[in-house]
Amino acid sequence: MSDKPSFVYVIYIAATAEQVFEALTSADMSERYWVGNRLQSDWKVGSPFALQLKREGNRVTGTVLEVDPPRRLAYTFHSQHDGLDSEGPSRVTFEIESHKDQVRLTITHDEFPPGSKVFEHINRGWPLVLSSLKSFLESGRVLRAPWYEEADAA
Amino acid sequence: MSEKSSFVYVTYIRTTPQKLWDALIKPEFTRQFWFGAWQECDWKIGSSWRLMIPDGRVADAGEVLEIDPPRRLVLSWRNEFTDMREEGFSRMTYLLEPASEMVKLTVMHEIDRPKARFIEAVSGGWPIILASLKSLLETGQSLESTRRWPEGK
Repeated sequence: MSDKPSFVYVIYIAATAEQVFEALTSADMSERYWVGNRLQSDWKVGSPFALQLKREGNRVTGTVLEVDPPRRLAYTFHSQHDGLDSEGPSRVTFEIESHKDQVRLTITHDEFPPGSKVFEHINRGWPLVLSSLKSFLESGRVLRAPWYEEADAA
Repeated sequence: MSEKSSFVYVTYIRTTPQKLWDALIKPEFTRQFWFGAWQECDWKIGSSWRLMIPDGRVADAGEVLEIDPPRRLVLSWRNEFTDMREEGFSRMTYLLEPASEMVKLTVMHEIDRPKARFIEAVSGGWPIILASLKSLLETGQSLESTRRWPEGK
């Protein structure tokens, strides 16, 4: 396969597009559903993006690429922890589509450098984070995953 | 490269393996999150399996290849009500793994032929069915759009 690896995941949430967009950009909400990790950005195109991980000093950094509330959000994603910083940044894109009383959220994580280790991490991480986001928006309760929090698999 | 088409989806649900197993198997649950559909099967190895839709048609059919409640189910699975039937039997696996207060559910659906239209079709269907199943188990309410079969389909 010459194709670069990419991760695509679709999840449906009983919420409004505005609620989903807010959750994808809010530091306080992310701290709840993203198992203690905090999103940090002013969400303007070209501004810095960071995900401050629960484990002290660890973070993912990047640049905001696209902001079109409540439909589209994209940023570069550069892990700085566990020796992953030597790997170049990848790209995360969220697309939000409303269908009656539910939202179809598609995440595409792509543009990984060859032999990416981050790709393996995010393949395990996103299904949990997005499952927890759905639980949070629908029931107010998040999913707890000690193995994820300890592994810092963002 | 293997000459296979496959779809894999992982979701985490706050429930127990037994409750998730029942929801995946029993008509009173599947009707709520699977567009009104239900399965006819006695859930033994080698038994025939059919996915029924509300107008009485058989949507898909196959047999039970492996069953280990509430951990693992493998079905052979062929589409019956469209020309995707010609692609033959696929293989569908549910894997249920307890993970602290939740269950990790993995759905794998594959067929031994490249670029199968049937796998492309189920790749569009599983995410909404599994999202609705998760909503049902966590909130008591499935996603509204999955409670009945879509008109004209």
